[in-house]
Amino acid sequence: MTEKERLRFRKGDGVAIGAVILAAATLLIFFLLDARQTEGPLVLRIYVDGALIREMPLDQDDTFRIDGAYRNQVQVQDGKAAITESTCPGEDCVHSGWISQPGRSVVCLPNRVEIRVEGRPGGEEVDAVIR
Amino acid sequence: MIRRRICGILSAVLAVMILGGCGGSTAGSPKTRYQATLMDLFDTVTTITGYAASEEEFRETVGKIQSEMTEYDHLYDIYTPYPDMVNLCTVNSRPGETLTVDERIIDLLLFAREIDEKSGHRVNAMLGSVLSLWHEAREAGIADPANARIPEAEALQEAAAHAGFQYLEIDAERRTVRLTDEKARLDVGALAKGYAAQRIAEGLPEGMLVNFGGNVVATGAKPDGSSWVIGVQDPDGGGEGYLKKIALQTGSVVTSGDYQRYYVAEGKTWHHIIDPETLMPGTRWRGVTVACADSGIGDALSTSLFLMDREEGEKLLAEFGAEAMWIAPDGTEFFSDGFRALIKD
Repeated sequence: MTEKERLRFRKGDGVAIGAVILAAATLLIFFLLDARQTEGPLVLRIYVDGALIREMPLDQDDTFRIDGAYRNQVQVQDGKAAITESTCPGEDCVHSGWISQPGRSVVCLPNRVEIRVEGRPGGEEVDAVIR
Repeated sequence: MIRRRICGILSAVLAVMILGGCGGSTAGSPKTRYQATLMDLFDTVTTITGYAASEEEFRETVGKIQSEMTEYDHLYDIYTPYPDMVNLCTVNSRPGETLTVDERIIDLLLFAREIDEKSGHRVNAMLGSVLSLWHEAREAGIADPANARIPEAEALQEAAAHAGFQYLEIDAERRTVRLTDEKARLDVGALAKGYAAQRIAEGLPEGMLVNFGGNVVATGAKPDGSSWVIGVQDPDGGGEGYLKKIALQTGSVVTSGDYQRYYVAEGKTWHHIIDPETLMPGTRWRGVTVACADSGIGDALSTSLFLMDREEGEKLLAEFGAEAMWIAPDGTEFFSDGFRALIKD
């Protein structure tokens, strides 16, 4: 075994331990029920690790900063919402763009954040999105 | 304006369904729409949407998906070992050894071997030696963009000498596998998620829509008989600008694109779908969306078609009874004959 390979295995071990701890500590997640929702104004709900931490009316321009493992800047503007800045690697959340339809969400996986448009059942325009 | 009005009508219909419980093909049991998001599975986001008679019923389904998907995720993980489990990471880290593995690993690898052959080795789960170089370069490049690099051509060539299913022994009867080359490695990234999604979907109630990180699977129409609508996002824009909307009742839709997993190095963007011939990211298409009854096949086909010209892709689609949409680098869209029928205006 070369020196390089040995180092690589050690690094993998660390990741494994981390993954086990993470899995044990957090066991999944996010629930969100449209059960009690019917008609009404749309809101943006912000979940961290499955817990609702903030609600923002979608018809009021506002910003909110999430400080977790990384920092997400959430913006509500003109009836739409997005994560506009993030310190996470890759910034997939920022690239996800703006959402306004009920049921649509943007996720920052590294930061364990989901922002979701709620207030009415989803599926008005699309039921799922792929890219 | 018109769209807003349609939305209004539609939501009113949905509201009636929720409040009054009329509508819906299952007479007598009003169903409510629920949605849940799961993280931690296959390094991606899973969104589950469905109609259920009660929150409890829906939670139960979500819990089932979660626990089954977690098992598949751990078994098919090539990066992380888990205690008391022989997974693909174990197989990769112990070349030369004959290992007894879970039946779900045998099934996946037999499927992968078949796909490798049928795809003309475009989707090659035994390309791990090469893909690991790209994976490491991408991870390092994302963590430290200033020093991002691509793998050296020489290293890729050397790694490619250790790729291919000739270096994997599968004994289905004894449930054992063995890497016969010291440097050969498995990488099932192009098909494991879709394969697992299909296995799980087969045990789900009807009328669910599950988006396993871009592998969408539907298990039947909505309670009112209407189709699920899948928005295919424009590669150049996120948000709610959809290239096409696809109507789906049962089956799967999946996209492979050069914009999905990538990094920037040496002034260029390098995505994750590596062409086994050039050992570099494929440049023929921007994205390929495949609609297919089986999500495992669909997942593999989208990668395969991404690396083929259209003619060859069409042949492969016909063999599996699947349909596709191709997006060329200049944005031109092409469709297989049956795909247009799936597009919703």
